[in-house]
Amino acid sequence: MNFKKILVAVDASENSFRAVEYVGEIVGSSPGFEITLLMVFRPPSRDLFPDEAAYNARISEIKSNAEAFFKKAEKELEGKGVSSHSVASVCLDAVGTSIAQNILDFQQSGSYGTVVVGRRGVSKAEEFLFGSVSNKIVHYAKNCTIWVVE
Amino acid sequence: MAENVKELVKRYRPDLSLAQYGRVFTDTTSFMEIGYGDVISIGGLHYLVLRDEAERCYGIEDPKYWVKRCLVLETGERAILKLVFHESFDLELGNLKIRCYRSPEKEARILDLVRGDLRFMQGKSRHDSAGNVVRILEVISGKRLDQAVYEIEADHKTYFREHFPGILEKFMGSCEAIAFLHGHGELHGDIRRDHLWIEHRTGRYRWIDFDYTYDFAESPFGLDIFGLGSLLVFLAGKGIYRIQELEEMGFGDRFLDSLTNEDFSLLYVNRIVNLKKIFPYIPDSLNNVLLHFSQGAEVFYESVDEFLADLRPCLGHLMEAQK
Repeated sequence: MNFKKILVAVDASENSFRAVEYVGEIVGSSPGFEITLLMVFRPPSRDLFPDEAAYNARISEIKSNAEAFFKKAEKELEGKGVSSHSVASVCLDAVGTSIAQNILDFQQSGSYGTVVVGRRGVSKAEEFLFGSVSNKIVHYAKNCTIWVVE
Repeated sequence: MAENVKELVKRYRPDLSLAQYGRVFTDTTSFMEIGYGDVISIGGLHYLVLRDEAERCYGIEDPKYWVKRCLVLETGERAILKLVFHESFDLELGNLKIRCYRSPEKEARILDLVRGDLRFMQGKSRHDSAGNVVRILEVISGKRLDQAVYEIEADHKTYFREHFPGILEKFMGSCEAIAFLHGHGELHGDIRRDHLWIEHRTGRYRWIDFDYTYDFAESPFGLDIFGLGSLLVFLAGKGIYRIQELEEMGFGDRFLDSLTNEDFSLLYVNRIVNLKKIFPYIPDSLNNVLLHFSQGAEVFYESVDEFLADLRPCLGHLMEAQK
């Protein structure tokens, strides 16, 4: 694994932006790094919406937030001295129920040596009920280094 | 011209007399306007509305205006009609608030999925004239499992030795039913003590009410699994135990002071789940399963299969103890 090949898992949240900021600080203008911002897109359940219009409006909102996040994150990295040629943004449609597993599959297939995630800090009860992407990544990742940014 | 309610009743149930004859509805959008004496015409049948269903919560009757108890005029059978009511609200589970959504479409889908599987309530869905997904449900003649357990006239030790093994065996069947839903990408969404019923005629355990849903999470079935765990704690204890109950049972200060946060539920922080401290004859294997739902838990069940894998040996231990 190439540890200079960094996969930053993002979800358009402030926590994941902190992860981007951290990566920018660490990498800066150092040569040889490759950074991929990965967002796994899982549309909300259609069951949550009374009609198609409300559902489609929400999907549009999520997509537009994602685009805005990528622009902001790329600008942040550039501002920290990271060359725009070494940054890629990828949006992936989720497969299965676990976003963490999608991220780890992407890490394996792309031979990323470093995975970076933001963490919002959840209580034990929240972890039981909802799970935690960052905790799962820490638990199941193999052959790579994990940076957890809180 | 369509028949009115009086004519329909006269035609199909001539022996029936109503205090009032209302209107015939084919569009159920305005469900608040539909009440006793009205008829809902859907799917080729006529459902005479007898009353709104209600849930009792903390001793208060909470009417569910979108759920109608009905008589099918053509067949004389009872049925429950759930009309479309999209709402979202914060469900309070212990100290947590969870955004919950009521989804008629989800319930209709699950009714299709579990058709013929009597571990679940049965029913079908039909669209009314306005396109609303109306769920037409069988009436389960039975009792809430928790009430039935609570009413067993035995002290805990006798209950645990003589009744609980059989209850646990059936409960595991109910857990397998939930695993079946999860295997098909569906969640029950509202696993509570009052949503598992015992059918009078067969003694079968049956899940009801599938219309709650939530936004996706990394562990999509965590809520259901926690619901099963809380139900197991209730069944193993033949009730809920808080400090107040323990005081009433005669446990002294020394015992109460020995309880730590780790002995209490992860979510309902005043309920004891380390039941072995109260009932020392509870086997370790079972108590260890209960402790997965405590504040002291370090490892959580991520699937019903994991939960059942730990629970199955407990049944063997209890059966052996019975011999």
